[in-house]
Amino acid sequence: MDIFSNLWLGASTAFMPMNLFYGFIGCLLGTAIGVLPGLGPTATIAMLLPITFGLPPESALIMLAGIFYGAQYGGSTTAILINLPGESSSVVTAIDGYQMARNGRAGAALATAALGSFFAGTVATILLAVAAPPLAAVALNFGPAEYFSLMVLGLVASVALASGSLLKAFAMIVFGLILGTVGTDVESGTPRYVFDIPELYDGLNFVAVSMGIFGICEILRNLEGEHERSVGVKRVTGLMLTRQDIKRIIAPVLRGTALGSFLGILPGGGAMLASFASYAMEKRISPNRAEFGKGAIEGVAAPESANNAGAQTSFIPMLTLGIPGNPVMALMVGAMIIQGITPGPNVISDEPALFWGMIVSMWSGNLMLVILNLPLIGLWVKMLTVPYHLLFPAIIGFCCIGAYSINNSVFDVFVMAGFSVIGFALSKMRFEPAPLLLGFILGPMLEENLRRAMLISQGDPSIFVRSPLSLSLLIFAVVVLALVLSPSISRKREEAFTE
Amino acid sequence: MSQSAGRIQFPAGMSFTREYHAMLKIRNSRDFVGGVTMICVGLLFIWFGRELEVGNSFQMGPGYFPTMLSLLLMAIGALIVVQSLMVDAEAGDPETWNWKAYFLVILGPIGFGLALAGLGLAPTMLLLIVGVATASRYANWRHSILLGLFLAACSVLLFTKLLSLPVSAFGPWIPFIGELF
Repeated sequence: MDIFSNLWLGASTAFMPMNLFYGFIGCLLGTAIGVLPGLGPTATIAMLLPITFGLPPESALIMLAGIFYGAQYGGSTTAILINLPGESSSVVTAIDGYQMARNGRAGAALATAALGSFFAGTVATILLAVAAPPLAAVALNFGPAEYFSLMVLGLVASVALASGSLLKAFAMIVFGLILGTVGTDVESGTPRYVFDIPELYDGLNFVAVSMGIFGICEILRNLEGEHERSVGVKRVTGLMLTRQDIKRIIAPVLRGTALGSFLGILPGGGAMLASFASYAMEKRISPNRAEFGKGAIEGVAAPESANNAGAQTSFIPMLTLGIPGNPVMALMVGAMIIQGITPGPNVISDEPALFWGMIVSMWSGNLMLVILNLPLIGLWVKMLTVPYHLLFPAIIGFCCIGAYSINNSVFDVFVMAGFSVIGFALSKMRFEPAPLLLGFILGPMLEENLRRAMLISQGDPSIFVRSPLSLSLLIFAVVVLALVLSPSISRKREEAFTE
Repeated sequence: MSQSAGRIQFPAGMSFTREYHAMLKIRNSRDFVGGVTMICVGLLFIWFGRELEVGNSFQMGPGYFPTMLSLLLMAIGALIVVQSLMVDAEAGDPETWNWKAYFLVILGPIGFGLALAGLGLAPTMLLLIVGVATASRYANWRHSILLGLFLAACSVLLFTKLLSLPVSAFGPWIPFIGELF
């Protein structure tokens, strides 16, 4: 069996002591940022990217992935204990999880979240291992026209599934694509928008850009409505689930995992959408739906399984096609590029140790997270009390050194400061920064494939509809767009995000 | 009876003439500003890229892709403006502004960049932390200075000693200690 030899290869990479160590560090950091107030996985990964430059690619990506799914675990802890979701994907967990904690069942809620997440993580890992190679094999036959259409589909879908105004999200994508053209044009060698600044000839550094629009910008917004938080639950006891609990969570966990895995694969989907959708579904079909909002264990089990499954399956398009579906995946693509790996379908065949190592590390990471979260819960409760006014100066300090260390030049620190202003101005006008980062990462690839395709067809744009594969990708993009624009669906979309 | 049959029934609360006159009123000022900003961004990129060769669709020059995108951005911006004239803004949370925090948090990294070469990592870090910490209304000097000293020591240890970044702990602007390191 091919898949077993591949998984064996992955296990031998993932269980190397060094990779286990970095995986552990990633999970630890992920849980910490999930617990700490006002610090999301996107900002943290951006902040830590410069440190990973010196690591081997496997260790770097294993650690970054650990931060991402670790944050899903940590975010649920704060949601349950103090009714403040540490992550956007844990927002719905707070509804019933906090009620359970108030009823003295915080331990059961935490155990449900951790075990549900672990189960979902295991299933998603298997799905990733089974689905990724054939998907990549299809993508290997892609020419420039197909790639262009695929990226268009990815960008359109990422907008369609996100919350907020469609037009504004498109504006952000286009703005990001334009920012991606800054620097030397690869084909002609002409410098574009560099204003004779030598540092700009390589383009804007994406680490500095993302630290600005996610890291610093988040701090600016948090300081607007700053308030100290109080921790109601000081001690957590009773982590064991009763037989009754287990009986009640099996079906929600299974449904949450299935829905989350599916939504995670879609561009723009991922953890947050998965948790919202699965909570909404449980609320409708659960036999105990009357208890929802008053501490129903299903209301914790389903969204927590779904967000972890979604977080993990969102790696599928990134690893097999090189198309990031959310900003965290965009940063992972950037991390790969920095490590000298070209993201895309070739990763599986060119870097099998990296690919399979990452997959196996996700499973081992989930196991570590259960251990980290359940017995060590006391530590995380302590961490909840770290006040924000001590945390944010440290984040800024870390971002500054991080930006400096990219090229050992203060220019990137100024780029970061500049983009924090841009990001903040955009957020004041209610433009989401996430599509901008996707556009920025995909911009150069999109342009290159467009130019190659047009060169092949001698300037005839019909090349994009003559290839059946490219045509179907574009039709799919149009269908997605039409679906979102249709009134009934858009109303549902609003509902899903406001609930 | 014939009187009511001849009249068009409008839904309650809808008055056509007033609606018509108010057509060009800005209903969503946030979106209006956003749309205009996007148009300006598009114009800026077209202006700064005016010397780039656009070429044609067969032989695309370096200016083709950015120019097309800028035009697209301006079109989207125009649509956002149109939308802001037609659709009312949804009632949301009132906007809060904290100018002191914006000022300190944005100037912090800029100051860091300007002072790093001269002061060295440790003093710059201390100043940055103490400076940005005052942006919080819960900050107090003792905590900020302790945090600053702690992070300055950590960053020197991690970045100049362990990761050997080409930046010294104390720079040339600090005469005596600077020479010791």
